[in-house]
Amino acid sequence: MADSITDTRTDFWRRGIASISAGIVMVCVLISGGFVPARASEAQGEPLSTRSDTRAFTDETGRRVNVPPQVNRIVSLAPNLTEIVFALKQENHLAGDTDFCDYPPEAAQKPHVGGPVNPNLEEIVKLHPDLILATSINRRETVDALVRLGLPVYVTDPHSLDEMIASVERIGSVLGAEKSAAALAENLRARLADLDRRLAGAAPRRALFVVWTDPLSSIGRGTFVADALRHAGARSVVETDTEWPRISLEEIIHLQPEFLVFVSEHAGDTPGEIEALSSRPGWRDLDAIHQGKIVFVSEAIIRPVPRIVDVIEQLARGLHPEAFAALNAPSAYTQPAIKEACACAR
Amino acid sequence: MRPLTVRRLLWICGGLAAVLLACVVLALKLGAVPISVTDLVWNLGRVAIGRSDQLPTEYRLIVFDLRLPRILLGILVGAALSVSGASFQALLRNPLADPFVLGVSSGAALGSILALIFAPQLPFVTPLGAFLGAMATIAAVYFLGRRGGELDSTTLLLGGVISASFLSAIIMFLMTTLAGRDLRGMVFWLMGDLSTPVPPGLRWIFTMGLLVGIGAIYSTSADLNLLLTGEREAIHLGVDATRVKLVVYVSASLLTALAVSASGAIGYVGLLVPHAMRLLFGSDYRVLIPASALGGAIAIVLADTLARTVVAPTELPVGAMTAMAGAPVFIYLLRRGMR
Amino acid sequence: MSASDTSTHALGGRETSPRGARAERLNVEQASYAYSPGADAAPTFTLTATSFQAHERELVAILGPNASGKSTLLRLISGTIAPLSGRVELDGEETSRLDVRTRAQRIAVVHQESPMVYPALAGDFVLQGRYPYGRALRFANKEDIGIAHNALAQVGADHLAGRTIGELSGGEKQRVILARALAQQPRLILLDEPTLHLDIGAQVELLERLRQLAQENRYAVVVVTHELALAAEFADQVVLLQHGRCLRVGTPAAVYQRDLLEQVFEAPLDVEVGPAGRPRVNVRARRGEDAT
Repeated sequence: MADSITDTRTDFWRRGIASISAGIVMVCVLISGGFVPARASEAQGEPLSTRSDTRAFTDETGRRVNVPPQVNRIVSLAPNLTEIVFALKQENHLAGDTDFCDYPPEAAQKPHVGGPVNPNLEEIVKLHPDLILATSINRRETVDALVRLGLPVYVTDPHSLDEMIASVERIGSVLGAEKSAAALAENLRARLADLDRRLAGAAPRRALFVVWTDPLSSIGRGTFVADALRHAGARSVVETDTEWPRISLEEIIHLQPEFLVFVSEHAGDTPGEIEALSSRPGWRDLDAIHQGKIVFVSEAIIRPVPRIVDVIEQLARGLHPEAFAALNAPSAYTQPAIKEACACAR
Repeated sequence: MRPLTVRRLLWICGGLAAVLLACVVLALKLGAVPISVTDLVWNLGRVAIGRSDQLPTEYRLIVFDLRLPRILLGILVGAALSVSGASFQALLRNPLADPFVLGVSSGAALGSILALIFAPQLPFVTPLGAFLGAMATIAAVYFLGRRGGELDSTTLLLGGVISASFLSAIIMFLMTTLAGRDLRGMVFWLMGDLSTPVPPGLRWIFTMGLLVGIGAIYSTSADLNLLLTGEREAIHLGVDATRVKLVVYVSASLLTALAVSASGAIGYVGLLVPHAMRLLFGSDYRVLIPASALGGAIAIVLADTLARTVVAPTELPVGAMTAMAGAPVFIYLLRRGMR
Repeated sequence: MSASDTSTHALGGRETSPRGARAERLNVEQASYAYSPGADAAPTFTLTATSFQAHERELVAILGPNASGKSTLLRLISGTIAPLSGRVELDGEETSRLDVRTRAQRIAVVHQESPMVYPALAGDFVLQGRYPYGRALRFANKEDIGIAHNALAQVGADHLAGRTIGELSGGEKQRVILARALAQQPRLILLDEPTLHLDIGAQVELLERLRQLAQENRYAVVVVTHELALAAEFADQVVLLQHGRCLRVGTPAAVYQRDLLEQVFEAPLDVEVGPAGRPRVNVRARRGEDAT
C-alpha cells in the first residue's frame, strides 16, 4: 500500500497549481498569438508604399499597385507571365519564376519559388523582388499574403486573345518596356487580322478539341482555347460553361466533329497514340478518324502567351489548307524586326 | 494502483512542452533562408526588449511575418484537431473516430465553395464560408444523431457518415459543373495547408474560440473517463451524461470547424496523436487531453517544417505530410504497445 | 389479473421481515412504468404497480424469467427512470428526484459486464467509485486511495490492484466491479444478473460475500437474477415477477411454491424444504424425455 501515499498535498494546493500552470500556458499562447499580428500589420505597406517616387497602377483585378520607377527584380508566379517577361526581353530582370516555367528553356535556369498554386513565400522574400507578377491560376490567399508582407503584386486576368495582347502591353508599361511591348502587340494584332481576312469566306470547322483522351476532356466556351479556335476558323462542338468539361464519347459520336484537334506535348508520341485510338470502340466510329482530319497543335495553345498566335496560324493552316494554298510564304505582316522580337517565343 | 497525480500530469505536460519548444526553434531555423540558433535567440531577445526596429528587413519578414505566424497557427490547429479527435473517440466510444468523422470537413469545404460562388468579393470569404458550413453540418448531424431526445453514439456516428458522403457528393457535383478559378485553390486547401495565415481581424476570435473549446473539453475529462466505460455505468457513478455529451459535442465540433476554416482538412493528426499519447501515457483523459493538445502541436509543427523543406522550394500540403509520416509512426506505436 | 389483484399479493409479503427491528432503506410503493414507442402509441411493455421494502443488512432477490420486468424494476429503483405512478424512496427521498451525483453517493449499480474500450488497471477502475465525491478533475486524494484499497480488500482482491481489467478471469472481474460499487460507499447496492458469466463456485462466493458485506456495512442489497436455487439459498426476501406483474413478495419459503414456480418459469420443477428451513429447487426432466 506504499504507492497509495503518493501525494500528500491538500486538494486546495493541487487545484491551485493546476489552474495556475494552465493559466501560464494560456497567457503565453495569448501573448505570442497577440504580438505577431501586430508585427504583421506594422509591416504592411513597407517598404515600398512609404516611398514617394513609386508609380501607381491599377491591375487587371482592380487592385492598386505601387511599383518602383525602375523594376529590377521581377518574380513571376506563372509560366505564361514568365514567357511574357521573356517576350518583352526583360529576362535580365527576372529574379525568379515557378517550377513549371519551362519556356523558353532559359526560364528553367532561373531560381524557382515553387509551384504557381503553392509557392514558397520565404523563397519569394529571399529574392528581394520589387515586383511580383501573378495571374488567375495563383490563389487569392497567396496574393493577399504577399501584399501583407508589403510586396507589390500585379495580377493579370485575360479571358481572350485581345485581352491577352492588352495585358502584354500593360505589363510592358509596368516593367518600363513600353516600346517592345507595343511592337509585339502590333505584330500579334496584325497577324490575327490577317488570319481573319483569309478565313472571312470560309465556314468555321466543327472541331473537337481534345485536352485528354482518358477521361475524354474538352474545353468550355469561356476558355482561352475556344477563343483561339475561333481565330483559327473553327468552332468547338462542345459548348459548356465548365472550363475543362468531361465529355462522353457517345455525345461526340452523335456530334460527329469535322476535325479532331490534339495537343501534342512531345512531338514524337502522337501518331502512335492516334493509331491506338482509331482501333478503340467509339473512336473508330468517328468520321474525322476515318478521313484523317486530325490536327496536332503545340501545348502553347492552352497558355495565354504571345506564342499562341503561332499556334493559331499553324492550326488555321491545318483546318483550312485551301485558304493558304495561294500563299506559302510567311505572312506579309511578319516584318524582320518584329520577328526578332518574337524569337524568344519560337 | 497508479492514480493520476498532479505531479505526474505536470511532468508529462512539461516534457511535451519542452519538446514542442525544441520543434518551434527547429521550425524557425529551417527554411529557404537558414538561420543559426544564436542569431535567433539574439533577435528574439531584441524583439522582447522592444527593439524590433533593429532587425534586418528580410530577417523580420521571413522569421516574424512568415515563419512565426505559421508555426503558431500550426500549434493551435494541431492542438485543436488532436483534442477534438480524442473527444470524439470518447463521445462515440469508437477508437477509429477522428475530427472529420461527423462530416465537419465536408461541410466546411462545401461552405467555402458556396461562399466563393455567391460572394467572392467578401473579405475572408474562404474561412468564413468554411466555418459557417462546418457549423451548419454540426447542427444537422446533431439533430440526426438524437434518439429519444438524447445524443446516441451509434446514431450520431451513422448520421455523421451519411452527411459526410452526401456533402462530398454535392462538392463533386459543384466542382465538375461549375467553372471558376478559385476552385483550383480549393482543392489545394482541402488537402490541408498552413501557408495562409488567419486574417489579422479574426486572430483573436480564432485563438479564444480554440482555448475555450479545449478548456471546456478538459473540464469534462474526468467524466469522459467514465463515459468510456459505458454511458449507463457513468450515469450510475454520478456523471451527468446528457450535459457532458452536449458540451463535448459542441466544443469538439467548434474546434474542428475553427481548425478546418483556418487550414483546411489536415488528416490523420486527430486520429493518430490521441492514440500515440494513449500508448505513451495511458488512457486517462485528464492526461490525454493536454498531452494530445501538445502532441498535436508538435506533430503539425514538425510535419509543416518537413512540408516546407523536403522538396524545397516547392511546398507540399501539410495534410499529405501528416498522412505520409503518420501511418508508419502509428504502426510502430501500435506494435510497441502490443509487446 | 388486475393491478389491484397483484398488489394484494405484493402487500401480502410485507409482514415477512425476517429479523425484526432493522431500519427501512428502500421503499417501493405501487411503482409502475410503461415503455411506449411514441407519445400516442400503445405501450409495448408495462410494469404494473409493484411494492416491496428492503431494510439495511437485507438481501432482496428480484426473480423472474426473461421479459418479466426485472430490469425495469431495477431502473426504477436506481432512479434513472421515474415511476409513472407510485414512488420509489431511499431513506425517504425519491430516487428519481435525486441529482445524479447524490444518487451515485447513495446507490451503487453493478451490471453484468463493463465493456472496456481502452485497458485500465483494476485499482484505477475501483477508484472510479470515488467519482461522485470528487470535484473538477477528481484527482484521487489519500482518503480515496485508502477507500479503494479497502474496497478491494473487502472482496478479497487487493492483489489484483495492479493488473489490467482485460487479463482478469470472470470471477476476478466481477469482484473488482463489486469493489468499485463498495468504493461508492452507498446505502443500497443493486446488482443486475451478477452471476450470469460465473461458474458455480464463483456464484456461491459472490452471494456469500454480498450477504457478509450487507451485514458489515449495513447496505441494503437488491439482486436481479433468474437463478432460483441461489436466490432460495441467499435471499432474505424474494420479489417474483412475470410478464410485468409482481406475483409475490416474501421469504423464499413463502414464495417458492411448486405450482407457482412451474407456471412462472414454464418448466417442471421439484421444490422441497432443506434443513435450514430454506426451499430447494430441482429441475425435473419432462416425461417424454424420460423414456429415452
